[in-house]
Amino acid sequence: MFFQQVINGLTTGSVYALIALGYTMIYGILGLINFAQGEIYMCGAFVAVLLLATGKVNFFLAFALGMAGAALLGVVLERVAFRPLRGSHPLVPLISAIGASIFLQSLALLLFGPNDRHFPMQFTFTTVKVAGLPVSTLQMAILAAALGFMGLLVLFVRYTTYGKAIVACALDRDTARLMGVNVDRMVSLTFLLGSALSGAAGIMMAIYYNATYPRMGLLPGLKAFSAAILGGVGNIPGAILGGLLLGVAESLGAAYVSSGFKDAIAFAILILVLLIRPQGILRGRGD
Amino acid sequence: MAAYVLHLAILAGIYIILTLSLNLIIGYAGQVSLGHAAFYGIGAYVSALVSLHWSFPFPAAALAAVLAGGLCGLALGLPTLRLKEDYLAIVTLGFGVIVDLVFLNLEITGGPDGLPGIPPPNFFGVSFREPWVYLILVGVFVLLVLGAAARLVDSYHGRALRAIRDHEITAQVMGINTPAYKVLIFTLAAALAGLAGSLYVHYITFINPETFGLHTSILILAMVVLGGMGSIAGSVLGAVILTILPELLRQAHAYQDLVYGALLVGLLILRPEGILGRGKLSLKFLQREG
Repeated sequence: MFFQQVINGLTTGSVYALIALGYTMIYGILGLINFAQGEIYMCGAFVAVLLLATGKVNFFLAFALGMAGAALLGVVLERVAFRPLRGSHPLVPLISAIGASIFLQSLALLLFGPNDRHFPMQFTFTTVKVAGLPVSTLQMAILAAALGFMGLLVLFVRYTTYGKAIVACALDRDTARLMGVNVDRMVSLTFLLGSALSGAAGIMMAIYYNATYPRMGLLPGLKAFSAAILGGVGNIPGAILGGLLLGVAESLGAAYVSSGFKDAIAFAILILVLLIRPQGILRGRGD
Repeated sequence: MAAYVLHLAILAGIYIILTLSLNLIIGYAGQVSLGHAAFYGIGAYVSALVSLHWSFPFPAAALAAVLAGGLCGLALGLPTLRLKEDYLAIVTLGFGVIVDLVFLNLEITGGPDGLPGIPPPNFFGVSFREPWVYLILVGVFVLLVLGAAARLVDSYHGRALRAIRDHEITAQVMGINTPAYKVLIFTLAAALAGLAGSLYVHYITFINPETFGLHTSILILAMVVLGGMGSIAGSVLGAVILTILPELLRQAHAYQDLVYGALLVGLLILRPEGILGRGKLSLKFLQREG
C-alpha cells in the first residue's frame, strides 16, 4: 500500500517536474511566472488526442506533434502576451499571463466542449511484479519518459551552445547581449523548450487519467509552480526534485491524511516552504 | 424588470467594495492577490454561520465577517508579504484553492450543497427583506468604504503605499516601514472583502462554495484592471461595467471568460492604466532593472 502510493506519487510527481521545468526556465530567463503554463499542457494533450482520434496517426507521431503544438503555443504566447510588456512592473506580465490563461481555457471550452475525452491508446498496459511488489507498466513508462525528457533537457542546457546561451541570459541578460547572444531568440527558445515539456506532461497525464478536458491544466499548473518554488525557482535540478517530492507528498497525504484535501497539500507545502526556506531546497537563481 | 435592475445594482455595490479592496492591494501597494474571493467567502460563511447558529443580528454578523476576513488576511499577509510579488500571487492563489476546498469538505459549511435559509438583516426594527431597502443598506456601506478609501489614499499613509508600489527600496530608505504597511493594507482589504461577503450572503440568503472560487478572484482582478489600477473611481466603473456587461451579453454567455481573458491581456498592452487609471502606473515609473 505504502509502496504503491509512493509509485503513484512519483508518477504524478515526474509530470509535475516536467511542467515545473518550464516554469523554472522561464522564470530564470525573464523573471516572470507564466501562469498559462497549465493551458500549454492542456494544448499538448488536446493536439495528441485529436490526432489519435482520427485513427490515422501513429502514437509516437501524435506525441511529437502534441509537443510541437504546445511549443508553438508557448512561443506565440510569449510574442503576444509577454514581449510587449517586457520592462514594465512585474505585476503587469503576471496579470497578462492570467488573462492569457483564462482566454485559452475558455477558447478550449468553446472549441472542444466541457466533457472529458478518452485517450485512444494503441497499447495495453499490465501490472508486473518488481521485487515482489505490483507495478503498472504504464506508470513505469511515464516515469521513464519523464526522466528521459529531463535528462535530455539537462544535457541540452549543460553541453550545447544554445543551452549555455540560455543560462547566460538567465544570469545576466545585458552581459549576454554584449557577448553577442540574441536575447530575444533565447527567450523564444526557452518558451519553446519549456512548453514542449509541458505539452509532453499533458499528454502523459491524459493517458494516465484517461481524461482530456479544457480545465485539466489548472491544478497541475499551479502545483508544478509550487514544485518549482519548493526546489528553488530558476534551478533545473531543483524543479525536478521539487516535482517528485510534491507528487509523493500529495499521494501519501491523500492516502493517510485526507483525500478531500488532496489538492490543498501542494499549496500547504508551498506556504510552509515560503515561510521556512523561501529560496527552496536547492537555492534558486531567481532571488 | 425593475426588480432585475435592483438586483444588479445590489450586486454591483457588493462588487464595488470587493474591487476597491483589491485595488488597495494592487493599485496602491503594488502587491497582487489572486485569492481575494477567499476572504469574500470567509466573510460570507462566518456571517452565515453566526446568524444561523447563534442568531447574531446583522450588524454583529457583519462585524464578525469583517474580523474574520481581516484576521485571515493578517495570518496570510504576515509570512508572505516580505516575499516578492510573484510569490504573493501564487500563495494567495493557493490560499484561495485551500479555502475553497475547506468550504467544500467541512461539515459545518454544508459541503457542496451549501447552507440555505440565511436570514435577511432585521435590526433597529427595520426589515431589509425588500430589495430596495437592501440596496440602501449596500449603498450606505459603499459610500462609507469609498469615503474611507479616498481619505486613506490621499493621506500620509496613502502616499507611503504608493511609494512602496513605485520603488520599495526607496520607500524603505525614506523611513517607511514597508512590511508593516503591506501587512496593514492586505489585512484591511481582506476585512473589506469579508464585509462584502456578509452583504452578499444576507441578500442571497443562500451560500455554497461555487460563488467564492478562483473564477470570482479573477473577475475581481479584471474589474480592477479594467477600471484602472490605483484609481478609486476606476474601481467603481470597472465593477459596474463587469457586473452589467455579462447580463447584456446573455446570449453570448459562453464567450464571457474568453472576453475577460482577452480584455486583461489587451488592456495591459494597449492601455495599462485602465479606463480611469492615473498616469502610467506600469510603464514609466516602474522600470525594472535588467
